Amino acid sequence: MEKKLLIEDHIRRNKLLTVIVCTLMALLFISVIFAIGYIFFPGNIFIALFFSIPIALVYVLITYSFSVQTVIAAAKARPANPMNRDEKLLINRVEEMSIAAGLPMPKVYVQDSDNINAFATGKKPEKSVICATTGAIRKLNQQELEGVISHEMSHIKNHDILIATVTIGVVGAIALIAEILFYSMFWGGAGRGRKGEGNAILMILAILFVILAPIFARLTYLAISRKREYLADSNGAYLTRNPEGLAMALEKIKQDHPQGKPKGSKTVAPLYISNPFKSMSVSSIWSTHPPLDERIRRLRSM
Amino acid sequence: MLLWIGIILLIIVLFFAFVFFGYYNRIIRLENRIDNSWAQIDVQLRRRADLIPNLMETVKGYMKHEKEVLENVTKARSALMSAKSPQDNINADNMLTGALKSLFAVAENYPDLKANQNFLNLQDELSNTENKIAYSRQHFNDSVLAFNNIVETIPGKWFAGMMNKKTREMLQIPEAAREVPQVKF
Repeated sequence: MEKKLLIEDHIRRNKLLTVIVCTLMALLFISVIFAIGYIFFPGNIFIALFFSIPIALVYVLITYSFSVQTVIAAAKARPANPMNRDEKLLINRVEEMSIAAGLPMPKVYVQDSDNINAFATGKKPEKSVICATTGAIRKLNQQELEGVISHEMSHIKNHDILIATVTIGVVGAIALIAEILFYSMFWGGAGRGRKGEGNAILMILAILFVILAPIFARLTYLAISRKREYLADSNGAYLTRNPEGLAMALEKIKQDHPQGKPKGSKTVAPLYISNPFKSMSVSSIWSTHPPLDERIRRLRSM
Repeated sequence: MLLWIGIILLIIVLFFAFVFFGYYNRIIRLENRIDNSWAQIDVQLRRRADLIPNLMETVKGYMKHEKEVLENVTKARSALMSAKSPQDNINADNMLTGALKSLFAVAENYPDLKANQNFLNLQDELSNTENKIAYSRQHFNDSVLAFNNIVETIPGKWFAGMMNKKTREMLQIPEAAREVPQVKF
């Protein structure tokens, strides 16, 4: 029998796990740089820093510059209409949750889609957006909708959009650096200055590591994404003091099989409350979201 | 040798200055958050009180035989308007919540009223402010908890003592609010 955790304990545990995984990501990035230094500049591996750091910075800046408007446009979302009763109720739920979280009121958008889903975006809480699908508005009752909004509000409060942006940037940078290395080996051959036999194995290991690094980086990023989902679930429950609302909403998402293809871009998938591009029951280390059943179980254990 | 002692002393002084400013600012910030979240409750209470005359105007024509229910709402509203202390405010608001609940329960008997668009809007609007009041109270209590935690634990306790800051009271929700309001037909 698992010990029953308080909502506060869930939050603390998830925060700690996120810190650990983010540290892993940073360590991975640093080791990639040193491995490259070892392969190309055996004399002074610090030279690698000079070209790796700018590449990483540029990459992070590019992902960072994707504005709220880009995401909204990709999702084909429109501002919620307060004249429509259902959408007005959505605005009301968002207002309530922003008060509970002590955050400024986000802009409310609606995406035309039969799927039950919602996402939050915006790098700062002051300029954030919460968007729900028409399916969510129609199929969820107010208690469930409140649960979903509380989850999104927690993403905003935890700066998850920023974390996702930066980690995606680092993953991209590692992939790019590995690719550059791969091609330069192809053209010029690695370790020109190196003749010693004893280092051959080490050299192969370093090259292998750099080639595999993008995969590790991607897995670490996905692990971070899943941890942040759990954290947003428990923080959401803390805001509403009603874990059952979100649990019931996730239950409905699980049983919902809408027609038609999901809209929007895959890069924003981690922002949604459940991944719109994957079948819900399957989950692995390649998922952006934890399995729904496990999320429901944890919410019900609070 | 002297230089090293100087550097070490400087580091120690800087460290304590850092901790001191950190705690000082944190205590002030948390205290401001409490005041701010109280202001938020106040805004919502006013908003709710402002909605009542509208509601009365809409309902009057339909509910001619429900004098008592309507009077209770009006009474609770004036109690809310004249409340001074935070706890008075909360008590009056709970009274209003109860009175409104009875009103909406009675409204179930009037199909014409239930079909009235204006009434429907007001009902949504009132339940929205009611939720906002509940959540702003919750945020108030969360803010008080964060403040009290730092004021009561070491080393925050020492700084709070120097700054003459004491723990704050959380808002209590009176027994009456937990009861289901009586509906008379």
